[in-house]
Amino acid sequence: MNVAARKRSLRYFFAKVVAPLGYKFTPDNDLADYLLEQESHLEEAHGSPFCPCQGLTQNHEDNMKIVCPCIPYHREHFDYMKRCWCGLFVHKDVTDPDSLPQISYEDFRKAKDARGSGEGR
Amino acid sequence: MLVEVAKAAEIAPGGMKFVRAGGREIVVCNCDGRYYAIDRRCGHMNGPLELGTLDGMIVTCPMHHVQFDVTTGEALNRPVPEYIDEPLPGRWAQYMKHFGALMQETSVCNIKIFPVTIDGGVIQIEIGP
Repeated sequence: MNVAARKRSLRYFFAKVVAPLGYKFTPDNDLADYLLEQESHLEEAHGSPFCPCQGLTQNHEDNMKIVCPCIPYHREHFDYMKRCWCGLFVHKDVTDPDSLPQISYEDFRKAKDARGSGEGR
Repeated sequence: MLVEVAKAAEIAPGGMKFVRAGGREIVVCNCDGRYYAIDRRCGHMNGPLELGTLDGMIVTCPMHHVQFDVTTGEALNRPVPEYIDEPLPGRWAQYMKHFGALMQETSVCNIKIFPVTIDGGVIQIEIGP
């Protein structure tokens, strides 16, 4: 397969999916290009453009939840970070993607629980 | 050889039409007002591409979801594997195992494209020798 052509088509399809979710491609074009290239290799090997930053498991259902763009399956977590896990997509208002750290799901849960209990007081 | 194949108005934007011209099976695609002509047969397993979907400049085969760029004929991905989460009855399981092994050995070829001109609202395709 022609990786450059596949990257262009993935960009086209992904943009249509993430825009209604409030996301856009990261303004860091080099990063986006690199991640899309990895996804096209993963697609060639496994049949779907899996997230290059999350590991595949033996569980098909779990794996389907990391097919890019996987935002709908991790919405709360990604909205909290204002980016997806690998950083290919960021919230539409983000101009400096480097300022957005990855926050583990566990830390996100803790922060959310703390905020929830604080609000309850 | 230029062959008239359809009226431009017959194909809505985002639509496709299967035509025969010069002994070939061809699909004419209307990509938002720009017309492209491609080989009807998927470069993977000969699936009829006009029965798939056209999104922008990308056509997706209805059989195994292989995609092609209609402007270049370039194959963009490999077939998407089917996932069956319930056990199949005996002979079906054997057949699918056999079929799956064969599928592993298939490849995807680019498809042929044909130059298109519109003259007086009529779509003409240049069929090579």
